[in-house]
Order: sequence, then C-alpha cells, then structure tokens
Amino acid sequence: MQNHDGVQVDGKVESAASVATPEFDEWANFGDQDIMQQHSAIRAEEAEKIPFLGDKAILKSLDFEPLSSLASEYQSGSAILLEKIKVLGEQYAAIRRTRGDGNCFFRSFMFSYLEHILESQDRSEVDRIKANVEQCRKTLQSLGYADFTFEDFFALFLEQLDSVLQGNEESISHDELIRRSRDQSVSDYVVMFFRFVTSGEIRKRSEFFEPFIFGLTNATVEQFCKSSVEPMGEESDHVHITALSDALGVPIRVVYLDRSSCDNGGVSVNHHDFVPAGSDAPKASEGSEKVTPFITLLYRPGHYDLLYPK
Amino acid sequence: MVDFARVQKELQECSRDIERSGIKVIPKSEATLARLIGTIPGPVGTPYEGGTFQIDIALPDAYPFEPPKMQFTTKVWHPNISSQSGAICLDILKDQWSPALTLKTALLSVQALLSAPQPDDPQDAVVAQQYLKDYQTFVGTARYWTETFAKKSSLGIVEKVQKLVEMGFPEAQARSTLEAAGGDENLALEKLCSG
Repeated sequence: MQNHDGVQVDGKVESAASVATPEFDEWANFGDQDIMQQHSAIRAEEAEKIPFLGDKAILKSLDFEPLSSLASEYQSGSAILLEKIKVLGEQYAAIRRTRGDGNCFFRSFMFSYLEHILESQDRSEVDRIKANVEQCRKTLQSLGYADFTFEDFFALFLEQLDSVLQGNEESISHDELIRRSRDQSVSDYVVMFFRFVTSGEIRKRSEFFEPFIFGLTNATVEQFCKSSVEPMGEESDHVHITALSDALGVPIRVVYLDRSSCDNGGVSVNHHDFVPAGSDAPKASEGSEKVTPFITLLYRPGHYDLLYPK
Repeated sequence: MVDFARVQKELQECSRDIERSGIKVIPKSEATLARLIGTIPGPVGTPYEGGTFQIDIALPDAYPFEPPKMQFTTKVWHPNISSQSGAICLDILKDQWSPALTLKTALLSVQALLSAPQPDDPQDAVVAQQYLKDYQTFVGTARYWTETFAKKSSLGIVEKVQKLVEMGFPEAQARSTLEAAGGDENLALEKLCSG
C-alpha cells in the first residue's frame, strides 16, 4: 500500500523557504514536525534581528531619524506617509520598536503599562488594576477554564506589577524592566496573561463582541477566541484592544500611520482612543473631563510600536 | 525547560476525571514527565467504537508555549492520521496551539477528530481518497483496523479465522468474510451461515 504522507505539504514548504531548502527528493518525507521545526528556525533567525523590545529612539523634530530604515522604505512610495512621519515627529519625542512576532500589541502594552507604573509610582492605579485582574480570574473560572491553565500567567503579571513599585525587596530598576521585557521566560508569560484576559472578556461579553468578530473573520466568538486570541503569535485587531482595555480598565491611544489623507488636503495623523466601557477607568479629574490615555501605540498596518509623547 | 509543575497538575486533573472522559495520561517511565502515554477510547457511533487508542506524547522544552508532540502508536485508518507513522494532522497540535489548552483538551480534540474526519486536509492521502470515493470500504477498513489493532482484550484476527475454520468454513472464505465484516466475528458468522 502506498502512503503519501507529506505530499500535501509542498505548498506550505514553499512559503517558508528562506531557511535551508531541503532537496526535492526529501520532500516526500517532509512531515508536519519538520515544518514546525523550520518555522521555529525562521522565527529564531528573525528574533536575532530585533529584540522583543527595542531601545528608545529619540525623534528629532521634523525628522524620524532613527527610523531611517523605515523612511527609506517609504521614500520611493507615498508622499502622504513621509508627510505624516514629519507630523509625528512634531508631536512625539521617541519611538520604541517591538518585534513583529504577532505579539507586538500585547508586548507594547505590557512594557508601556509597567513603565508608566514604574515612573508614576501610582499605587492607587495598581490597586485598581489588581481588582480588575481578580475579576478577570473569576471570569475565566466561570467560563470553565481550569485554574492551572492560567494561574502561573496571572501570578507572573502580578509579580511584575509589585516589582515596579519601589520600596520593597523585589523592586526593580528601569533597566531591569527592559531586561525582563526582553527575557522570553517573563515577557511571553505576561503576553499570555493578556491573551487570557482578552479572551475571557470577549467570551463574557460575547453578545457585544459577536457582530465585530463576525464582520472581521466570519467566525463565532468561541472559534475566534480559540484561533485568534489564545494562541501566541496571533495578531491583534481592534476587538483585542477593546477587550483588553475594558477588562483591565486601561485606556489606550492608537496612532495610525497609514495612507489615508484628509479631505481638506492638509496632512494630520489620526488616532483613536480606546476608553474602557466601565466607568472606573483612571481619569484626569471630573467625569466630564476627557480621558487621556497614558499608553500610546503607533500602528502601521500589521504592527504596533510604542510612542512617547513630547 | 518544560514546566513540570504544570504537567504534574495536568496529570492529576486528568486522573480525577478519568471515569467521565475515559482519557488517560501516564508517564512513559519514572525518569521524566517529558514523555507520556495518552489513551483515548474510540468514539461511539464511529468505526473506532470499542477500540482503545494509544498516543505517544513528547513535551518540547517550551511546553506549554509549544504544543505537545502527539503520535498514534496504535495503528489507525483515518484520513488525518498517517496509517504508517501514526502522525496526526490537527491544527491545535501546530500553529493553533495555546497554553490555554491542556494535554487532556488536546486528546479530546484528537478523539473529536476520530468522530469528524477532515478528508480535505489529509495526513494520509490514500485513506482520504478512499474516504471520499468509496466511503463504505473506508468504514469497513477502519473498523477492521480497530478490531485488529485497537482491541487488545478481544481475539486477534488470526484466532478469529481459526475459530471460523474450526466451525467448518474454508480458511480463505472465513478470512475474506471476516474482513468484509470489519473484523466482527459474529457478523462474519452470520454472513457465512446465510451465504
């Protein structure tokens, strides 16, 4: 009896062929595990190039200098983008890049939030988010998740939260926060924590999220969470951002660097503020006051980096 | 490094639930928790019903961030499982894996795969072809394989043929009828008597 294992893998192999291409006659034996291995080899190779979290790069006004690679990328292309990059330089002081591994939104959020706490030492905000984290834990339990699947990830996030508060034995410096954010054994756990929180929020409020998800992927809420939220490396969309922002009660600003232009001909850079649905979000002052997010992300189609306002 | 504390909890949870799920996971040896053996019952109402299927499990260092490697050690006739190597084609064992899943939920998914083959995304092209073009033969073969390889307590095929020969049927006829009956000795006997 002839067995044709691996015959169907040809297409998949071709799309991943930048690393060592196997000889053709070996392809018949090229199984799923080989493909997985090749994928992780490619990921490792890419990882060498960009850390999970890059250095903070100062933007000179009117000049996206540290992004010379980015600028040259766009040089021959859209004038609108180059204009927008200039405008960005007027409003923002610095950019911090994250690795484009599909976890960039969550990783940007992680670092930006912890850095904010480290710098502000805002203990009431820490108390507030801890209450939300407890709520998320209950949500997951009520949705039927076994505790051991998520408890390590929750514990590790809470640990980071405590350690950025100064004045106790576990307190860490800014350099240490950067080091941990680049350390897979910390960074990926926190990313996964956010994925749990996001998935729990979407499932809990499935009626609210259903139309958005259906418009995005044609999938059910359950399928979407299983295939686009919980696996590592799945990219985030406005559904993920809304859910995470709501669940943790943290507002997020996303600045869009895309080709859209304004009607009046002038160039401005659009942004959208994700403001938590709950009213317990940290606000500048009175309820009528506009919430200004302390987390600002730069979105270019397919990727999120961190922006520092002037 | 594999998160062994978590694996330990997974094994405990699995054994607590064994009566209901029928799914078993045990360490392959006492030396390590990185190599395990999973057992799933064949789903009722499928050609795999009544069979007990063993799955070899190897945990990669990055578990639970990377999926467990699973492979049938019991031979299975199924479009998404290699009839030769036992390799499984299932999305959650590849890029759709998540640390939110467990060994038990993964094995439940494998069991669900037995109930719902996906011949359009085959692991074994020969089986998938047969499934699509000649479903009856597929069912017969799958049932025969279940009888032959997945039922340890019941008689082997050789013994069954022997039994029918002892009843006075010619060996070749006994064997072919038994195969056509998917290894079901009673059904074969009925056919032999009526035919």
